[in-house]
Amino acid sequence: MDGCQSTIPTSEGDLHVVAAAHHIVKALGATKNLSDDLRKILIDLDAHLSMITSNTDSKGGKGFVDVEERLKQSERKILSWESDPRMIWDSGPRDASGYLEAVDEIQTLVDGLQGLSVHENRKQKELIHRAMSVLQMAMSRLEEELIHILVQHRQQLDPKSITSRSTQRDVVYDESFVSVEDEPTEETSSRNCSGDEIGECIVDLIHADVIPDIKSIAKVMFTSNYCPEFCEAFIGVQKEALEQYFAILDTEKLSIVDVLKLEWTSMSSKMNKWTWSVKIIVLVYLVSEKRLCDQLLGDFGSVSSFCFLEISKATILCFLNFGEAVAMGPHQPEKLLRLLDMYETLADLLRDIDTLFSEEAAAFRVAISSNGSLYPFPGGGVHPLNKYVMNYIRMFPEYCNTLNLLLKNQHVDVADQVIEPDNGTNLSLSTSCPMACHLRSIISSLESNLLRKSQLYRNEALQHIFLMNNIHYMVQKVKGSELRLFFGDEWIRKHNGKFQQHAKNYERATWSSVICFLKDDNPGSSSFSKQTFKERCKGFSIAFEEVYKTQTSWSIPDPQLREDLRISTSLKVALAYRTFLGRNPAHIENKCVKLTVEHVEKLLLDLFEGSPRSLRNSHRW
Amino acid sequence: MTGTDTQSSFLGRISIRRNQVNAMDGSHEQEIEDLDLFQKQVSDRFAEILSAPDDTPFDAFLSISWIRKLLDVFLGCEAECKAILLMGRDAAQISKPPLDRLIPELLDRVVKALDICNAIANGLELVRHCQKLAEIAVLALEQKPFGEGQSKRAKKALVSLISAMHLDDKEGSAHKTTDRNWSFGRRGGNKDRPLFGHYKSLSWQVARNWSASKQIHAMTMNVVPPRGPEASGLPSLIFIMNLIMVFVMWVLIAAIPCQERNGLTTHLPIPKNVNWTHTLTGLLEKIGDEWKKKEKKGMAGLLFEMQKMEKLGQSLIDFTDSFQYPGEKDKVEEAAKQVAELAEVCQRMEEGLGPLQMLIREVFHRLVRSRTEILDVLDQGAKSSAPLV
Repeated sequence: MDGCQSTIPTSEGDLHVVAAAHHIVKALGATKNLSDDLRKILIDLDAHLSMITSNTDSKGGKGFVDVEERLKQSERKILSWESDPRMIWDSGPRDASGYLEAVDEIQTLVDGLQGLSVHENRKQKELIHRAMSVLQMAMSRLEEELIHILVQHRQQLDPKSITSRSTQRDVVYDESFVSVEDEPTEETSSRNCSGDEIGECIVDLIHADVIPDIKSIAKVMFTSNYCPEFCEAFIGVQKEALEQYFAILDTEKLSIVDVLKLEWTSMSSKMNKWTWSVKIIVLVYLVSEKRLCDQLLGDFGSVSSFCFLEISKATILCFLNFGEAVAMGPHQPEKLLRLLDMYETLADLLRDIDTLFSEEAAAFRVAISSNGSLYPFPGGGVHPLNKYVMNYIRMFPEYCNTLNLLLKNQHVDVADQVIEPDNGTNLSLSTSCPMACHLRSIISSLESNLLRKSQLYRNEALQHIFLMNNIHYMVQKVKGSELRLFFGDEWIRKHNGKFQQHAKNYERATWSSVICFLKDDNPGSSSFSKQTFKERCKGFSIAFEEVYKTQTSWSIPDPQLREDLRISTSLKVALAYRTFLGRNPAHIENKCVKLTVEHVEKLLLDLFEGSPRSLRNSHRW
Repeated sequence: MTGTDTQSSFLGRISIRRNQVNAMDGSHEQEIEDLDLFQKQVSDRFAEILSAPDDTPFDAFLSISWIRKLLDVFLGCEAECKAILLMGRDAAQISKPPLDRLIPELLDRVVKALDICNAIANGLELVRHCQKLAEIAVLALEQKPFGEGQSKRAKKALVSLISAMHLDDKEGSAHKTTDRNWSFGRRGGNKDRPLFGHYKSLSWQVARNWSASKQIHAMTMNVVPPRGPEASGLPSLIFIMNLIMVFVMWVLIAAIPCQERNGLTTHLPIPKNVNWTHTLTGLLEKIGDEWKKKEKKGMAGLLFEMQKMEKLGQSLIDFTDSFQYPGEKDKVEEAAKQVAELAEVCQRMEEGLGPLQMLIREVFHRLVRSRTEILDVLDQGAKSSAPLV
């Protein structure tokens, strides 16, 4: 409306235009098939035009009589409710819509008055001021009404009606670790209760009847620029509702110190409860809350997703905190299955969470994803899943006899059956007993899982580092415990070969392109021209720095492996560099040679440290 | 980030030296050298952040950006400490006395620090909430033409803001959710009563009986400088790490609202006769004094932006209370200045809170990882019966 401010029609020609426009508006207003919005626009326009003509009819006081009268009427209605102890929306739809109409009218008058000329008209200013005061009073009241409606018509959600039981899960767990599924989705469902899945389910958190009421309040408040107040009130009430629901689910909040002190039965039941609660909250409550926000605020752009985010983030963080606390505890074998369940649940739900939050808060997603499996494990180190599984199965040999008895009748399809040469000792019995077969199949699943995870990395070299680290870790664990008796030398040899192959692949993927700057195209000639030397040197430096920057942040946790890879790399790269410099003795003094061979050797020792650096800092020493 | 730059060169030096020294004897000398270097780094870095120039008010002491610097320093020190502790050492070395007692105690404190990180992250939500209320007030106060309607709107937001800042910790945590009096507006009759409900949700994120002041107190137990032959070497390193961690956590609790800070100790076991600690002691005194002054009135933390917001808020409440259209010219002008200042505080919060929250998350994850790494090494040592290679 700012555009109208300076255009007060003073000339007669202008007045004619305004009158004509007014006429058209009235004619349009008489049409039958107008939508509500269009009708409202025409009414506003009509009021505006009336105001323009009435203002120019006479200067000063008399022109605003009409406006003042309308203001008085609406003001009366609004003031009358101030002293009324009842809630407007409890009194019936007629009262409610009457109130909203009054507010609307005030809004229109304010818009009109503000749209007029900026001549220092005292009456005009007085009216604006009065209207704004009334408006503020109304907004304050609407805020109260909003909260009242949201609280009164909150729907009770009975968690029991949504899901069944959680006690049956224990039985299912015993079977699950033996089952071999190749598809991740099947793994999950076999681990959880079959047939008792909690699926996505949208419910009414607020009674459907009052949704239009809330929407109309929202519309009025937003139009008057009271959006922040609306959001604060709405978010506040909904957060409280979610908190109450959380309490009903009987998941108490614990500090990490307390979680670590829990003894097993307590911990186990809490982990179970967590898994169950997080599913209900995400798949039922939050999905429903999102729909509610969309229903109420969908017309207002990103406000809807902003409110949803604010309402739900505390709860989600609470769940994540518990998960982290549990994961920090000691690695008891009994814990593993529960933990894997939690982990997989979270991984599955991440997809849902991602959809829910797709419009907002990249930072928030980063916080969640640092706990999830949708993104590659940073640095390429040993994946926690690997650690858990290996540490868990390390305990198996103790129960060998019992397990063999239990597993006697299970048929296992193993991808890489290893035939152990018969050397006449009991070893062959060990590697082919049922438990051993199952162990190998578990490892086989783990390997495929890790392979899938490695493909999340975009950098091929990092894929190889990741696989090298993880397979090496597996081999170390097997070799360093009684597991070696069950896996056998053949398996160990084969997997040694695997990680060494990955190491070679890494070297090729990373360094061939770097070293090719140093290669000599014409084996016959002894040295490069100055120009070529410069280019080559520069190319090598840049490529080397790039690798340095990236790969110092990668991680090879095992010190021996790290040393070996560094040395092997150093031999290749430093050697190539030394040869390159040696063949071009004339150019060594050239200032484009920023690195000495010793430098290169030293810098290579920084790789895989796990914390990123740049070459500039290393130059200090 | 300057923190990681110096950190990486430092780690570089250690790494090279480790690779050059083959024999494990003579390593004690190297240990002492590493330690001296570490102490110097710590001292330098803390001294650096202590001296903030006066002309940049928003980098002032205990501002959001100052705290971010403090946390950067902490991350740098933590990384170096871990490097010295673990690099090139096997499990046997870090399991022998007195480390067999000191390291588990350190890890214990780390866990307590993690709880504090969570509480702080929660507290930052309250700060955000205050920011939102302040923004409403600014929105209202900047309206032209400014009238009593906008004045009342601003006042309502500001009163909510001040109440949120003065929330009584105990009251917040003990209140049952059913007690929320959402409709007191009607019964109370006072139309300007602020909405309390939202910020009380703050306390529920933390365990009900958790107390920040108790947690810090527990962390300070047994933090004593090592004596005698142990004084140099790893025990000393661990002592320094404990000290830094306790100090940083204490600063966070003093600055940012979190549950149950009554009786927060202003004494930390910082030894006075060691020259590098005087920067820490100085900071401790400064913050401790401020804390004692404000504690009686009840407040939401010493965060510079929050303090400023409170002061401006109070002043503007007075203005709106006495405002009558069209208002006295010089009062209106004065208020306009304050509104501009308040808007600037909001802007600072808008820019700084997000990164601060991420930094707290990073501290959390770093501590978790380091703890896991140390536990892994200790684990390996315990199971050293089977040959590994």
